[in-house]
Amino acid sequence: MSQTSHTPTAGGDHPRPPGAVRAPQRRLRLAAYPSLLAMPALALLIAAMGYPLLTVTLRSFSDPSWGLQNYVWFFSTPVNVTVLWRTFSIAAWVTIVCVIAAYPYAYLMTAVGPRLRLVLILCVLVPFWVSGVVRTLAWVILLQDSGIINSVIRLLGFDGVKLIRTQTGVVIGMAQVLLPFMILPLYSVMRGIDLRLVQAARSLGARPARAFLQIYLPLSLPGVFAGAIIVFILSLGFYITPALLGGPRSTMLSTLVQSQVLSLLNWGRGGAMGVVLLVATFVLLALAAPLMRQRHKQASRS
Amino acid sequence: MGSRSRLAGFVGAAALALLAAAAHAQNAPPAGTVVDGSLKGKTLTFVSYGGIYQDGQVAALKEFVDKSGVKLLNDGPTEIAKLQAQVESGNVTWDVVDTDDFPPFVHCGKLFQKLDLTKLDISHIPPGQVGECSVPAMNYRMVLMYKNDTYKDNPPKDWKDFFDTAKFPGTRAIDGSGSPLGGLIEQAILADGGKVDAMTPADIDKGIAKIKAIGPDTIFWKTGAESQQLAESGEADMIIMWTGRAMTAVKNGAAYTPVWKDWLVVMDQLTIPVGAKDTDASYALINAYLGKKSQEILTEQTSYSPINNEAQPKVDASVAAFLTNTPDHAKLGYQQNIKFWVANFAAASDKWTALMAGN
Repeated sequence: MSQTSHTPTAGGDHPRPPGAVRAPQRRLRLAAYPSLLAMPALALLIAAMGYPLLTVTLRSFSDPSWGLQNYVWFFSTPVNVTVLWRTFSIAAWVTIVCVIAAYPYAYLMTAVGPRLRLVLILCVLVPFWVSGVVRTLAWVILLQDSGIINSVIRLLGFDGVKLIRTQTGVVIGMAQVLLPFMILPLYSVMRGIDLRLVQAARSLGARPARAFLQIYLPLSLPGVFAGAIIVFILSLGFYITPALLGGPRSTMLSTLVQSQVLSLLNWGRGGAMGVVLLVATFVLLALAAPLMRQRHKQASRS
Repeated sequence: MGSRSRLAGFVGAAALALLAAAAHAQNAPPAGTVVDGSLKGKTLTFVSYGGIYQDGQVAALKEFVDKSGVKLLNDGPTEIAKLQAQVESGNVTWDVVDTDDFPPFVHCGKLFQKLDLTKLDISHIPPGQVGECSVPAMNYRMVLMYKNDTYKDNPPKDWKDFFDTAKFPGTRAIDGSGSPLGGLIEQAILADGGKVDAMTPADIDKGIAKIKAIGPDTIFWKTGAESQQLAESGEADMIIMWTGRAMTAVKNGAAYTPVWKDWLVVMDQLTIPVGAKDTDASYALINAYLGKKSQEILTEQTSYSPINNEAQPKVDASVAAFLTNTPDHAKLGYQQNIKFWVANFAAASDKWTALMAGN
């Protein structure tokens, strides 16, 4: 940002009318405070995220009376703890599936010509424009016991498999919904990787697998981490997909929050559940951060 | 001062009371009447659950809107948490709210106004359905539908069979869309050999355990559309469905048959929120809604049963088969103990939620 704003002054040896001198100066001043430019976004975040979050947190301590009762309730009710653990485990599985599915796809996007790339991008984006509920219902039709997948399996002479109302079904459905969030960051990082580096490795005698593992993979890791974090965090709050594709054993925390707030009007308990999920997520990310930073450094060094 | 004169005094007082009651009742115009131009320039917001149901309600209110000159706005779906936020902030924009069974009892006087029944003509509502804070919006039932192919000549006949997985193997689908199903828990307690006349909170655990014992393959559907989809694709062998959805599924070719014995009576309620801007207008809307003609229109459009016992909707046989107010269906209905479920709402909800979450 600041680099581009400096260019007008750098090119200042051109003769200018005296009145125009101030404009670049003002632009320079604005550039010196990039935080000013972030004001609209910041104001929006404070109004739409910060304030509600503050209220939710406050109510988790004050509703119905001041104290820790909502948190005591959360951790002394077995179903909450089970579901919290399950929420993280489903989110982790979805992230893993997304990485495995998105990595080759994103790589393909960088390897093909511009026309085919456009088709591939559209294949990612078009489902993204369809509502999540519609996509989830489509999965119901595919995955159910009398559905297409099971019909084909039975036609081939095998026993049907249980897909819907299992965690597997939920993971499949969520991974499909979240796949664009993995592919796009991966693609943007991979596009910037200089493929001549891999060629260089090959010419120095590395086998394809080694060239990939030692050169390409580390360079693409920032994209993997960026996508993984987005997918993981978005999965934690999923509501519709687990409700429609899952059974009782794949209920996620958001469903419990919904039942506390919407049917029981326990805003305090609902708030406490949200805060626990938020804090747990922060802790997890804090634990993962050093690992990622190290990888990142390694990647930029090579 | 004989006992006769005292008796005369008593009779006189009783007669006076009756007269007063009659005069009071006259305050409420008969259900369905609308005074021309009475609400001109006013706006009412009616809140319900959308879809075919709310469309039918709006059609039932069309005459009221045309005659009274009111501007009717629609909102939805009903969410008690949203209503609570409105009441707490003192800015209530909803005037008449359609809710499910329990909320008007649980939050009576706090979120919902105690109704002034002199402003409504409730004489044609089926007995026992008017609450302190609510009148019924329509009747429907939770019907047990079984798959013809699975059970052929030996179908389940009542709730005992529903819970008997040894004699009647197969997947069950249960309404998991919202509040705990008091009626179903009561039937589970009965199937377990318990009694429901003097239920205690401990009995809730027994009932829930019985439901859980059906097995891990039990489906808890979350939306009416989902239950319909389950039936139309033949996914479950027994499905607890709302009548409207059951009728539509059968119309669309689902090969399922309803079990009539002890169908669970459920209703939607009409309420006026605490802090509503113009309660008289709200009362006028509800009174019009309760009328014979409005109820006929509602049933013809939605297949849900009318709550005016004079209503004679013209429906075809497939709809009539699922109406709950025909004499032979009405006597088979099972009324849950609303009082008990309202008093134990929080505990029952927590346990129901835990059941839904697989614990």
